[in-house]
Amino acid sequence: MQRQEQVKKPIKQNKTRRAWSATALISVLTTLTMASLAAQAVTVNVTDERGEPVNGAVVWFEGAHLLKDTQTIQNDYKMGQRDRAFTPHILVVPKGAQVSFPNYDSILHHVYSFSAAQPFEFKLYRDKPQALKFANTGVVELGCNIHDWMLGYILVVDSTHFAITDKNGVAALDLEQSRVLGTTIHVWHEGFANLDQPESMKVTQLDEKATLTYQLNQSLFKTKEDFSDEFDDYE
Amino acid sequence: MSLTTMNRYQFTSVCWLSSLMLVAPVVFGQGAQHKGQIQVSWQSASEYASWYERGASVNRFGKGDERLNLSRAVLESRFDVSSSWSAHSVTQYVPDPDNKVGFTELYAQYKPVTNGAYQPQVRVGGFYPKMSLENPDIGWSSPYNYNFSALNTWLAEELRIFGVEASLKRSGKRLAKPSEHNWQWFAGIYKGNDPTGAVLSWRGFSSHDRQSVFNESLNLRPTAGFMSPQLQGQAWQIEPFTEIDGRFGYYVGAHWSYQNRHSLRAYWYDNNGDPAIVNYDTGQYAWDTKFWSLAYKFKITRQTHVIAQAMSGNTAMGRARGVDNDFDSQFVLLTHRWKQFRLSGRIEQFKVKDLDHWTFDPNESDGGAITATLKWRITDNWRLGAEFQYLETKVANRADDNLPIRQIEQLWRFNGEYRF
Repeated sequence: MQRQEQVKKPIKQNKTRRAWSATALISVLTTLTMASLAAQAVTVNVTDERGEPVNGAVVWFEGAHLLKDTQTIQNDYKMGQRDRAFTPHILVVPKGAQVSFPNYDSILHHVYSFSAAQPFEFKLYRDKPQALKFANTGVVELGCNIHDWMLGYILVVDSTHFAITDKNGVAALDLEQSRVLGTTIHVWHEGFANLDQPESMKVTQLDEKATLTYQLNQSLFKTKEDFSDEFDDYE
Repeated sequence: MSLTTMNRYQFTSVCWLSSLMLVAPVVFGQGAQHKGQIQVSWQSASEYASWYERGASVNRFGKGDERLNLSRAVLESRFDVSSSWSAHSVTQYVPDPDNKVGFTELYAQYKPVTNGAYQPQVRVGGFYPKMSLENPDIGWSSPYNYNFSALNTWLAEELRIFGVEASLKRSGKRLAKPSEHNWQWFAGIYKGNDPTGAVLSWRGFSSHDRQSVFNESLNLRPTAGFMSPQLQGQAWQIEPFTEIDGRFGYYVGAHWSYQNRHSLRAYWYDNNGDPAIVNYDTGQYAWDTKFWSLAYKFKITRQTHVIAQAMSGNTAMGRARGVDNDFDSQFVLLTHRWKQFRLSGRIEQFKVKDLDHWTFDPNESDGGAITATLKWRITDNWRLGAEFQYLETKVANRADDNLPIRQIEQLWRFNGEYRF
């Protein structure tokens, strides 16, 4: 009985607290909503030299005052292999992130990279994933020693504010425009002539919709249609 | 073998394969991968007994075999010893004619991860040279038709490399100035494979999916030629992979591919046999067999592919090349994948031309086939399929047994299989 009373008392107190909390929360949310109207999340449009939207471009922001989000670094990143292809084709991770390599195929993959940012190799049996910490920034080009046509990229960036453009060339970032001004935007695409040289630009202003349009300074190598099939490893 | 009568040979085979799987990870360090196939099929049988039952039919399932068969079991294993070295084994079971189980391939492979356009590779052991584009599936089987083309059926019966193969691959995308052309050059030297050409000479080309295992001995229908004094040293069975003359054979090949869409493979094979040498204990001659092979694959679309292969060569045995035959074969295969289905059609012809003057031993044969196959991949594990083959063969030495030289066969095959 004594024990029950001890339990009940805090509940009564909690009811009072909850009322106060709710009021406080509503106030905070109202403030935040008003603030977000003033400072919308940033959207980046990437276009090619002719102004056409570019799919699969990686964008990220770096700046001295742009604090890194610890949670983003601790996220669970995966570079899988499915149907003899890397999935996703391009993975962006912040410096220091851990990436696991699950093999969803029923066959062995022998994944490797010779990229300066993170040279490695391991054999990946089904249901025996390996993981690796990516401590250096740069492009890590992935290949498979068994399936020669497999190609994937892990882009390690010194930022926790990054995104990849969709087929409309649009990348939406969870970042208010006030924090973006004064930073540097970096853009990378697998069609660049030099994969180790992302394009960069200082962000001085955004339009009224908090959109930044970035036009590439180079033409892109077109990626070829993938004709690979499950019997191509008979070589 | 009927499914209902698993005899002690099959039981032993199953035990043997299982123990191999269990022991392997302990012996080898890094890890192992096992893939398997168990295939059950029914095939309408030929009018005559099968050739390896000393009959006149070139089919795998001859007279009396018209029933449901456990037609094949395969275990394909890979054991990784280090980053660059791996050991590979392909073990197959076939019921015909006497529940054979054995290795069809067993070799070690060196394939290092290389940072550059050039990659050296080595294979040591017993294996197929990779001259064909029809047989890339598990255990050198065809994903297209059940019965292989005559050309590749012959390789499955009589050709295996017991030696070393070295290759150098040039990956176009990794060149300083990237290219869409990929190359790989091959050279191999080997022992064994001396009687290769004998089955082709005395039986002619065939179309089936039975692969000879190491140490295989293939029975032949004893033709009148075998009774002649000139061929008295020749046994009525062929041991295609044995060494007779002590000489090395060789082959060279080149693979070219463009955009992962066009593939071309050209090979020259010469077993360098000394036809004068005979092993009287086993009744096997060394045959001097050489041929070239050209294989091409074009992916018209991602779903529709065409594969073609041509081969031409010569084989001879005896001190004065008493048996001396030219042979050639060609096929074109068109395949289309639609969802879980694959439809494949193949047309082919084959010929053995008798060049020698031993009239008591005619080796002339020729023929052709049209094969249509529908395969259904129900799941990754379960598959079904049906095949129809129109096969015409003309074999001169059938006349020895007062059999018609020309046989026309219309064969149906229904197939179910489990893969893991």
